[in-house]
Amino acid sequence: MKKRGIGMASMWYGIGNTGLPNPAGAYVDLLDDGTVLVLTGCADIGQGSTTALAQIAAEELGVKIGDVRVVSADTGVTPDAGASSASRQTYISGNAVRMAAQQAKSVIVEAAAEALGVGVADIVAADRMLTVRTQSDKSKDLVDCQAECQIALGLTPGTDAKSISIVDCIAKCRAKGKLSLGHGWFNPDTTGLDMETGQGRPYATYAYATQVVEVEVDTETGVVDVIQIVAAHDVGKAIHPQNVEGQIEGGCAIGLGYALMEEVQVKQGNVATANFTTYVLPTSLDVPPIQSIIVEDPAVTGPFGAKGVGEPALIPTAAAIANAVYNAVGVRITDLPITADKVLAKLQLQG
Amino acid sequence: MSKRMIKFVLNGKPIELEVEPELLFVDLLRERLGLTGTKVGCGEGDCGACTVLVDGKNVNSCLMLAVKADGHDIVTVEGLGDYDKLHPLQEAFIAEGAVQCGFCTPGMLLSAKSLLDVNPHPKREEISRHISGNLCRCTGYTKIVNAIEKVACQGGGEDRE
Amino acid sequence: MSDYKVIGHSVQKLDAVEKVLGVAKYAADIQFPGMIYGKTLRSKVAHGVLLSVDTGKAKALPGVVSVLTGDDIPGSNSSGIIIKDEPVLVKNGQKIRKIGDPIALVAAETEEIAEQALRLIEVKVDELPAVFDPVAAMKDDAPKIYEKGNVLAVRKIRRGDVEKAFAECAVIVEQDYQTQMAEHAYIEPEAGVAKLDGDIVTVWVCTQNPHYDAKEIARNLNIGLNRVRVIQATTGGGFGGKLDVSVQVHLGLLAVATRRPVKMIYSRHESIANSVKRHPFIMKLKSGSDANGKLLAFEASIIGDTGAYASYGPGTLTRSAVHVMGPYEVPNVKVDAYTVYTNNPQAGAMRGFGVPQVAFAHESQMDILAEKLGVSPLKIRLINALRPGSFTGTGTELKDSVGIVETLEAATAGAKKTMELNW
Repeated sequence: MKKRGIGMASMWYGIGNTGLPNPAGAYVDLLDDGTVLVLTGCADIGQGSTTALAQIAAEELGVKIGDVRVVSADTGVTPDAGASSASRQTYISGNAVRMAAQQAKSVIVEAAAEALGVGVADIVAADRMLTVRTQSDKSKDLVDCQAECQIALGLTPGTDAKSISIVDCIAKCRAKGKLSLGHGWFNPDTTGLDMETGQGRPYATYAYATQVVEVEVDTETGVVDVIQIVAAHDVGKAIHPQNVEGQIEGGCAIGLGYALMEEVQVKQGNVATANFTTYVLPTSLDVPPIQSIIVEDPAVTGPFGAKGVGEPALIPTAAAIANAVYNAVGVRITDLPITADKVLAKLQLQG
Repeated sequence: MSKRMIKFVLNGKPIELEVEPELLFVDLLRERLGLTGTKVGCGEGDCGACTVLVDGKNVNSCLMLAVKADGHDIVTVEGLGDYDKLHPLQEAFIAEGAVQCGFCTPGMLLSAKSLLDVNPHPKREEISRHISGNLCRCTGYTKIVNAIEKVACQGGGEDRE
Repeated sequence: MSDYKVIGHSVQKLDAVEKVLGVAKYAADIQFPGMIYGKTLRSKVAHGVLLSVDTGKAKALPGVVSVLTGDDIPGSNSSGIIIKDEPVLVKNGQKIRKIGDPIALVAAETEEIAEQALRLIEVKVDELPAVFDPVAAMKDDAPKIYEKGNVLAVRKIRRGDVEKAFAECAVIVEQDYQTQMAEHAYIEPEAGVAKLDGDIVTVWVCTQNPHYDAKEIARNLNIGLNRVRVIQATTGGGFGGKLDVSVQVHLGLLAVATRRPVKMIYSRHESIANSVKRHPFIMKLKSGSDANGKLLAFEASIIGDTGAYASYGPGTLTRSAVHVMGPYEVPNVKVDAYTVYTNNPQAGAMRGFGVPQVAFAHESQMDILAEKLGVSPLKIRLINALRPGSFTGTGTELKDSVGIVETLEAATAGAKKTMELNW
């Protein structure tokens, strides 16, 4: 007989290394034509960090994603960004890139403020333009004063003078011998853990998730099939929602393999499962429909509120499957993986 | 061991060369012809990263001797599209986010093509079954199946020419 | 917050076109004229002392360009992310601690010749008793893998008074859990190419941390870090398994020794047999709540088998200790997490870093507790979930971005759309 069951599991995951310094650096160069070069040591291993970092730079600088080129993970030219591990790169390198972009931007913003006769705080960058912040939150006196200043500078007050292109600003900077370069580095705010009590501040921020899994257990064979997965992940802010979904879906697949089929067999120190015939990975037939739900509870210290998702994606899956198996047939497996043999043996004990 | 002359069509172009009888087709592609788009993930036919099309059928080129290419029509990822004109499957893989590390991608694309060429409108289950010999460790397959399904809905993967 | 122009938009991935065209260069795809191929001779015994390595016959094989042993390493002959306990090549008189420990390197004109040469190297080892079970390894009479003993690290968390709190609990759940060793199984096996440009050693490699790789290469080659350039080749997945060095230092040694471009590619077998693994855990958890389901006390012991070398082991067990109570507020916590050496393959970082193991345990605990109390799995979690202002087991106050409750609600709502969920 086949019996269905539903299980839930949650997780939390501290972003970055535990109670250790783990900084990342980045350089940003705003080039003469308004395009941008980002140098980062961050290694993209397929998760999409290069794209996410380009997005962060583009947003901060007010340019298009196509204007940004990222040179990554080359110790000859890029600064150290630490490891692509601990779900840390969006948060830590993301902050570093953003800070580097802010520094590069400050050069052109200064030029724009001067050209437009406003303070640097009044300039916003968007659509390849540096624009005076909307007037709605300013007093009439200030607007009048601004217009006077513009006239004094030989500018026309009004809409035309309220913005200047980034390229023109860069040209103004170059004319004065100024380069628009920025560097940034970010280290999460942590402390070490006390050796006796473990008390401290191991991470600056945490990701959270809950997954709900439906399984079908064959009571004749003990085989567990995963029918569907719902995965809700608090990532702070999804820089690239499609890639976040990709992380969740891929994580669920690894979590499913961990729960049900994967085990490195070691006999007297010798790995007996050193190929894909004996170390069996989930195939397209094993992975069920996955409903990814992105929850955004922004982190104050994250770049645009972002935290991380790489590792959280797989953490609750095996636990949710174990709970679903119990819900289906009343068998609690306490040692992974949940193989058919183990389920069947416990079912038989139940009688 | 005496070398053997073989003739085959590779990505639409006739090829004629001498090969050792024990040479694997994947090594011929990668080492001798410099076509490194075809990947080696396991060398044992388990992962599908080395998938090429032989007369339209998906084959693990790590299990195929080069001499067996003689007289056949072979397509590798290099024959699928180029910068100027991506194959609809390549476009769909990009648009749907089906590419993460990319190592399984060439083989996955060719497996998908071998399905759509004979069955332009497969069901989702048929897609999953057809690519089940191509392992992906990054995506959980969801977006890969989405991409193939997208092309199937658009009218299949018939040759654009 | 929603008026971002680029953030929050699923732009085309910057590397996607090259990857679908098959033109992205992974390390194995990189070729140079005159390139030679490197292979590694590895230990077949799990524990012993290397007595001698005779490379004479291998060196004499036509097509062999270089054979290196531990004596040929100009620098520290060690690597390791947290502790430099892993030999680059085990030297005569030094210890072998696992099957697969590297003993010699061969560079030859072809991969086949390099493999043939490996079979000609004669190795003598004085075998020692080995230990493969972490619990056995913790005992005083266990074979000592290291002088200092087999317990590499103990991480303790102490908060409140668990004994007193358990005495006040209405419900207590106590259960043992175990998890298996797992493999990353990135589809791209480890690969790299090294080449000298003047006095600069350039290494293209699949990696998750090129700057770490560069430091390991420089220390072992005994050259300045400014003379090492590590360039990450397009990397076919990592999941934590490409954080440790694989071919990096070996490539640097062979490139310097031969002054020729050199490539190393692991077979799938070599990759699975020798790369780091997910730590198998042995866990004991005890959770106690009041009659309403509010957690009052939590106690856990965790033993992680880190295998022959530390890799990320102590970091993994520390993270496990911090996370083992789950995303819940518990005022009284006691955790002991042991990182234990054995003669097994070394365990290190793998996606989740010790937390998938403990999540399996703490989430099983929550469901068992819910059943005992007669409340739903959702309710037991909502009662205890961390919120802004909560304190964690490490005594950290959480201030912002504590989205666990939102994920519980969102996942439940999502599940109700397609599942017959009655909670």
